[in-house]
Amino acid sequence: MLQRIYDWVDERMDITPLWRDIADHEVPEHVNPAHHFSAFVYCFGGLTFFTVVIQFLSGMFLTMYYVPDIINAYESVMYLQSEVAFGMIVRGMHHWGASVVIVMMFLHTLRVFFTGAYKKPRELNWVVGVLIFFVILGLGFTGYLLPWDMKAYFATVVALEIAESVPVVGEMIRVLLAGHEELLGAQTLTRFFAIHVFFLPGALLGLLAAHFIMIRRQGISGPL
Amino acid sequence: MHRGKGMKFVGDSRIPAEKKPNIPKDYSEYPGKTEAFWPNYLLKEWMIGAVFLIGFLCFTAVNPVSLEGIADPTDSGYIPLPDWYFLFLYQLLKYEYASGTFELFGNVIIPGLAFGALLLAPWLDPGPERRPSKRPVGTGLMLLATISVIYLTWEAVDQHDWEAAEEQGEILDEDDIQEVDMDHAGYEIYEEQGCIECHGEQLEGSGAAGPNLYDLPYGAEDIANISVEGIGEMPAGMFDGSDEELEIMSEYIEAEGQPNGDDDEDEDEDDEDEEDE
Amino acid sequence: MSEKEHNVSRRQFLTYTLTGVGGFMAAGMLMPMVRMAVDPVLEVGAEGDMVAVADLDELTEEPQSFPLNFEQDDGWYEAEIEETAWIYLDGDDVVALSPECTHLGCTVNWEANEDEPERFFCPCHFGLFERDGTNVPNTPPTEPLHRYEHEVRDGTVYLGRPQPQV
Repeated sequence: MLQRIYDWVDERMDITPLWRDIADHEVPEHVNPAHHFSAFVYCFGGLTFFTVVIQFLSGMFLTMYYVPDIINAYESVMYLQSEVAFGMIVRGMHHWGASVVIVMMFLHTLRVFFTGAYKKPRELNWVVGVLIFFVILGLGFTGYLLPWDMKAYFATVVALEIAESVPVVGEMIRVLLAGHEELLGAQTLTRFFAIHVFFLPGALLGLLAAHFIMIRRQGISGPL
Repeated sequence: MHRGKGMKFVGDSRIPAEKKPNIPKDYSEYPGKTEAFWPNYLLKEWMIGAVFLIGFLCFTAVNPVSLEGIADPTDSGYIPLPDWYFLFLYQLLKYEYASGTFELFGNVIIPGLAFGALLLAPWLDPGPERRPSKRPVGTGLMLLATISVIYLTWEAVDQHDWEAAEEQGEILDEDDIQEVDMDHAGYEIYEEQGCIECHGEQLEGSGAAGPNLYDLPYGAEDIANISVEGIGEMPAGMFDGSDEELEIMSEYIEAEGQPNGDDDEDEDEDDEDEEDE
Repeated sequence: MSEKEHNVSRRQFLTYTLTGVGGFMAAGMLMPMVRMAVDPVLEVGAEGDMVAVADLDELTEEPQSFPLNFEQDDGWYEAEIEETAWIYLDGDDVVALSPECTHLGCTVNWEANEDEPERFFCPCHFGLFERDGTNVPNTPPTEPLHRYEHEVRDGTVYLGRPQPQV
């Protein structure tokens, strides 16, 4: 039955080449942990992506309960983690997942660096990778404020002070992030929410696509 | 791709009528034990992924995420701490040459150089050599950066007062806060003498700085003594008013801020409780 | 007439036009959005009023912390904000210092560190300030504690907003 549906669609859309282009590529021996255990270091990129997928999904589901407003944000987080079944698990996945992404990405960066995989012709992919690194750090920074509890609030106060100390444009960066010229309040929370949920994930999707397309075009770097 | 004359299409569309066989490519001619990504390698990768996911879910299940009290911008005693992966930057700013007159170094120049160098690594290290041992400068700098990040994170964790951090973030349950009579002379003295700084506007305490003053195991005289001589972490000499004031205040505190009863307040609280439920 | 005789070829012309129209569409879409996003940067701050904080005879030579309340606009919220100020007498002059550390905005306390008497101490990065708010060299803060604008009328101390004292 499934095969017949597939054939019916394939006849009209010719979908086989679409996904075969993605599926058909070779995995060389030196990156395959099944053949050389030390090749497990090549898993970190994949695990980073896997955790990012978890982040996207858990984040989407968290917004079903979360309200980005100084009066209600805290209450909604409190409600979702104490009253909603599995709320604590989903929030936990998003919270701990953020840490796991950072760790995995750090290890992936070290692997790429120490195997010299960023050398010609893969310079651009390295740059895109570092941009992904920055976007992820930005996601960590903006996401930390959203529960609107004490540690979230005061960590962000300090971070904004650091931003303000940048010469010339510092003050502007601070106000642009905070949405208010002196305090960190209602407009900061909505801004951070928008950045965390729409702007940075959008950028991340684009960068990830570029990252993967480049890997496929150039292939995995050879053995040392 | 096959194009041109003789091509057959499905109806008037541009979909070719001839189908390619849906089979994986053959990688047997490739060097070493190269295998197909789909489905051979992906299956192994997903098995690792499944194990990873189980570990991750178990960790999540046994480690509930902490939620501190709701953000209170006026809590002046709160010592902030960023999430752990920003600790190395936070720690950097504590050092003499990264703060004070050198603030620019710590806040902008050092992180800017480090992250800038990371971004531009392919051009800073343009040689064709890939082995770490053959490019000692790049390898050395990266090792140094990695060790510094780990060391700074460690130092930040080590220097932070985790016990105080836990206490200061504790959620003050609203039910635990009692309305006190703020018009009473005792409250005025309580406020004037600065007791309010640590023990709170409603005698509810403020996390690390001072405990609440409800249900104390002391009489008015003991309270008066403690106010003057201190107890535990509370230093002596906090109170410097007259004996008369001292008496009024300690009686006020003994009565938990409600020397004249508190009928109205109770009703209000009940209303709120009903709404909550 | 061949294309080479023109300074701008047909294809170049089309490309330029396409870029122009595309740029116009992008700008038309983004202009309102960006203007909205940067609005807080361009907004001009309102002047605050002076607030009564303490009676003159409450003040001593020793800095004491006093709460001060003022109205604050936070977007669609209007809040009654409570701040604190360290106030003391310097001879006949009233000095009111903001407790906000000029390093990274933590809160300083008078004589909070036993090893540093007669100084304001910041627990975050161990910043120190002298009694008059001057930052102690070789500690993280780079400028003195901000000073509140103040006014004494009929024995009552009124404070405005904190200003940098440089």
